[in-house]
Amino acid sequence: MIKFNHVYKIYERDIKALDDVSFEVNKGEFVFITGASGAGKSTIFNLLYREETADMGTVLVDDNDIAHLSGGKIPFYRRKIGFVFQDFKLLFDRSVYENIGLPLTVSGASDEFVQRVVKEAIKKIGLSEREKLDPWHLSGGEKQKVAIARAMILNPPVILADEPTGNLDDESSWQIMSMFEELNQKGTTVIVASHNKEIVSKMSKRVIRLEKGRVVADALA
Amino acid sequence: MRWLKEVLMNLRRSRFMSLISIGTIVLTVITLGGYFIISEGLNYTINKIQQKVEIVAFLKDGLNQTAVDSILNDVKGFAGIEDVKIVSKDQAYQDFMQDPEMQHIMKGFDGNPLPDSVVIKLKDYTRENINKTVRYLDTKEGIEDIQYGGGEIENLINIMNAVKMILGIAGMIFLISSILVVSNIIKLTIYARRQDIYVFKMVGASQSYIRMPFIMEGIIHGLIGGAIGWVLIYAVVNVMINEIRKQTGVDLSTFYLFTPEYFNVKFMLSMLGAGTGLGFIGALFSQGRLFR
Repeated sequence: MIKFNHVYKIYERDIKALDDVSFEVNKGEFVFITGASGAGKSTIFNLLYREETADMGTVLVDDNDIAHLSGGKIPFYRRKIGFVFQDFKLLFDRSVYENIGLPLTVSGASDEFVQRVVKEAIKKIGLSEREKLDPWHLSGGEKQKVAIARAMILNPPVILADEPTGNLDDESSWQIMSMFEELNQKGTTVIVASHNKEIVSKMSKRVIRLEKGRVVADALA
Repeated sequence: MRWLKEVLMNLRRSRFMSLISIGTIVLTVITLGGYFIISEGLNYTINKIQQKVEIVAFLKDGLNQTAVDSILNDVKGFAGIEDVKIVSKDQAYQDFMQDPEMQHIMKGFDGNPLPDSVVIKLKDYTRENINKTVRYLDTKEGIEDIQYGGGEIENLINIMNAVKMILGIAGMIFLISSILVVSNIIKLTIYARRQDIYVFKMVGASQSYIRMPFIMEGIIHGLIGGAIGWVLIYAVVNVMINEIRKQTGVDLSTFYLFTPEYFNVKFMLSMLGAGTGLGFIGALFSQGRLFR
């Protein structure tokens, strides 16, 4: 499903963010990408978001080299991937309802459809009472739940989470991880970048460990 | 109407910036509208003055009718002449006597001292045309003297053209600065919302979906600026027309530009169009790297 094939990404002053990185993630897998800050985790995500392209090598998603996506096709590609960020990236001047419905709204869904799907999603994360509030009124864990609900609203086959528990307490972190686990059991491919050793080891999933832009380990935790 | 919601949100969030943007557009459309009004007014005035200006060729005394007719026919056939008429010395005398001051002067003469004259109107009052006609009249037998206000008219036209040029340059400067101000203000709005734009991109919003509210914001600034500009010009022109009517009795509202059909409809639409165009171009210039 996702294949990094000898990927290099070099920034200014010869900083090698990725140095000959190769790995594959199959459909329905749950994978952690770990490593210290600057190891290359975010670069892998940036390439998968198609925010950047590799300097050498290929990034294939469903056998398509995403570097060749035209500008007009990138939004459609992104609709097939759910993104979750450490800092939530919610729109703070919009309600919980509007935030979760955003991917549907931008893809042109009708108001009735948005309402039906979003209400259901809000119910699932237990925030029905708070759907009209803006995210300022939510705890960190609740904000991340909203972000995950938004990421999943279009039922994408893949979810990419960049340090999703980085700003959360232990309890909320485990709630979030169990949401990912549940999504994965329903068939969604989940890739989580994390440096939370406890979570990574307890989840017992495949771990790709990066060091200075290179894959130094790829095995089950 | 999704973009309208976004635009209203932006306007609310950056009220001060929006005011600066709209204010700049107001200044620009007022300058452009003012330029148009003054320029049309000057053209109208130049035209009126030109219609009144004549070249007068005084004939030698004692010419017989055949010689006078011959001069008249020759001049009529000369290129660039609009109209030629003969003013007899008697008619000239009667015209003079209408003016009390002239009456007084005329009393000092024995009989009628005025000569017969040929009054010539030109099609086009350029220096070249005036000189060519005067040179031609100079060669004619039977013409004693030639009078024309060519130099003065040309000076007046030159001054008016200079005024038009200065206004035009001011208009261009305002136009360019207004586009720059609008585009930079929208750039600031875009910069302030870069995080939101990133989120929109990540959830799969298309380029046009993200850009549209910013373009519409520019257009709405332009539309509001154009409308305010027109209201201000409308107020100034109406005060001016009333004052001129009171002071001089001249009714400018008959001038085509100030008739309600023109000023209230065509002129207003032009001002709105100019403002909207400015806002649109400014917004287009503001679109940059952030969206890619």
